[in-house]
Amino acid sequence: MTNHPEHSTRGTFLRRAATLLTLVPALLVTSLTGTALADPPVQWENNPPASPLHVILILVVIPVALFALITLLVYLPSMGKGESYQPGQPWRSEPEWFGGPRGGVQAADRTEQPLSVGGSADHRDERGGASGRW
Amino acid sequence: MAAGEAFTAAQRHEIDKAIRDAETLCRYEFSVFVGRSEGESRPFAERLHATLVAPERSVLVLVDPAAKLLEIVTGTEARRVLDDAEVHLAVLAMQSAFAAGDLVGGIVQGVQQLAEHARRPQVRHGS
Repeated sequence: MTNHPEHSTRGTFLRRAATLLTLVPALLVTSLTGTALADPPVQWENNPPASPLHVILILVVIPVALFALITLLVYLPSMGKGESYQPGQPWRSEPEWFGGPRGGVQAADRTEQPLSVGGSADHRDERGGASGRW
Repeated sequence: MAAGEAFTAAQRHEIDKAIRDAETLCRYEFSVFVGRSEGESRPFAERLHATLVAPERSVLVLVDPAAKLLEIVTGTEARRVLDDAEVHLAVLAMQSAFAAGDLVGGIVQGVQQLAEHARRPQVRHGS
């Protein structure tokens, strides 16, 4: 019972010594390599110091330009689609007739006269449909 | 601007497909005209309708996007299964799509809706 505290102090001393023994070489090695890396090898040629503008060009401008270029390339198809016609804008294109006769509107112009002569009033009424505006 | 600038190839294909689907669904012929209507829109739409191969069995949808006008003409035969009230419903659906700026979507939706209504089996009781 009396030597128990002494035993515990010796235990702590041993533990501290062990940690010191492991830490010191680790610290030494890392600090040594640190000093070794501080000086570039002699064989390396001495580059002139880069100007900040040059650094910004290499590290910022070129990546940003690449980013913009790739983004543009990705979005270009959908942008082209987005430029297509929106309702309400003046219609500048030729009319589009899906499922219409081969001649298109010109054919309608040509056949207008005979049909309006041939179609009687009651025949006209038989056609149905609806109109709307928006 | 060159002809056909208004729609991309994909959009044109979408409308074509809607028309084809509608025609296989209800066996009536659909035709969609998108462009400026010359003069009064209703007579112009009827004139276009009359030019079709089989006007009696045809449904013509005219969309004048610049004037924000919409006309649907049904032939005499098509009208038997597709009455004016049903056409008006399709007109309403298309109007709301057009008002939202969706020209192609409105056309596709309208054509589909017309075909759905026209598909309804013709029930003819003895009387």
